[in-house]
Amino acid sequence: MSQLTAPTLTSPARAEAGFLRVLAGQTVTVLRKDLLLEWRGRSRLLSVMLFGLVTLALFSFAVGPDSANLRAGASGFLVLALLLSSTLALSESFRLEHEQRAIEGLLLLPVDPTAIYYGKALGNTIFLCLLAPVLMWVAMVLYAVEFGALTLVKMLGLWVLAAAGLSAPGTLYAAMTSRLRSQDVLLPLLLFPLVIPVLLGSVKAMDLVMTGDPMSQLRSWSLMLLAFDVIYWSLCGVLFQHAIEDP
Amino acid sequence: MTPTTTPALEARDVARRFGRHWALAHLDLTVEPGESVLLAGPNGSGKTTFLRLAAGLYRATHGTLSVFGRDVRAERQTSRRFLSLVSHDAYLYPRLTALETVRVWARLLGRPARDADLMPLLDEVDLTAAGGQPVGGFSAGMRKRLTLLRSRLEGSRLVLLDEPFAALDVPGQKLVERWIAGFRRDGVAVVLASHSLEQAARLCDRAVVLHHGQKAWQGAAADVVSRFEEVTCRN
Repeated sequence: MSQLTAPTLTSPARAEAGFLRVLAGQTVTVLRKDLLLEWRGRSRLLSVMLFGLVTLALFSFAVGPDSANLRAGASGFLVLALLLSSTLALSESFRLEHEQRAIEGLLLLPVDPTAIYYGKALGNTIFLCLLAPVLMWVAMVLYAVEFGALTLVKMLGLWVLAAAGLSAPGTLYAAMTSRLRSQDVLLPLLLFPLVIPVLLGSVKAMDLVMTGDPMSQLRSWSLMLLAFDVIYWSLCGVLFQHAIEDP
Repeated sequence: MTPTTTPALEARDVARRFGRHWALAHLDLTVEPGESVLLAGPNGSGKTTFLRLAAGLYRATHGTLSVFGRDVRAERQTSRRFLSLVSHDAYLYPRLTALETVRVWARLLGRPARDADLMPLLDEVDLTAAGGQPVGGFSAGMRKRLTLLRSRLEGSRLVLLDEPFAALDVPGQKLVERWIAGFRRDGVAVVLASHSLEQAARLCDRAVVLHHGQKAWQGAAADVVSRFEEVTCRN
């Protein structure tokens, strides 16, 4: 009997491949639209970046001119600057969708809400990644940390993982709270407890990159960060549909 | 081709509550394929609520709604392939140009999205010259034209129009009338909510008057103008 089965895609498999192709196309369209909107409103990137810089400077003033202490806390300050900046970026990304109820326009089209979620979450991740070059450079100056080329590459990789870990639940919560007046308060309240594993993982991993890794722990922390990214990106994609629908 | 017996839109005992206020109660309405129905009623009578329920944007507090046999909530993705809603809201991104907006819609609908494919569409709604301008600077009428264009792009078998003549100049209103006539010729079902009774009645087969969220009267569209005042004042 098995000889009768052609080694080609079966009908359900073809349907699934077609579904994934459509989903990917819709995701890319939403992402391109979001990136274009970000480009048109570049002042938002500038204001979020300035907020991150001010945060880094405040940590520096709080610790004082003790370069050893500054270096010891550099990874934590850097990730906290990213976390605090992310709440501004995330809440604003859905504010654009609610101007003239544009999000409803997307929902009225036969578009999979999962595609809307992944498009927006990818856009938010890219937005947060754009903060990396400036914030890292300022951190190097303020906290007297020196990066070699390889260290910088590792730091950028960890930054991407951290940004992805913040964007996935952040996009979901931003969608949930976007219609509420108290979004600015609610978003951090909901997001911060959930991203503690991302905070811990990225701070530890960046610390190991900056101060040395004699016990070879970097791989474990990076994998933990990656695992949480996978969990968040999978789970939040499924939950998003319920977050944006009329209750 | 065998004629389909599945209604384009079927609402059974539909109700929607906002807080303590019932915006819609015990509404039954069936729209057959190719039929055009005028939904009339004073402000706050539940017309927009009904259209948003039919489009799946609201969840019904009670009752069921289906589009070509597909439940609008349980089979949302499938049912939305059949329907299109033109609402009060423009659903636009102010920073995108008209051409970029139509391109996003076309891509999401899996249609050709080159400029050569899209410019004729903009021409249909007299927005060719404004194609490169951000829609944030558009007048209400221009935004409405662009939103109407979306319903054309979707190519749906059921079109829900909420005050389609509002904010439009005379040529714009004529355009909408031509489009609705075209929908009817093509066998597309139309549900049209409007306060412009005389204008809308000319375009519809049947009329339903809503009052305080309930069906107060239904009959031939031609009779709605003469009966409207009586029906809405009686209750």
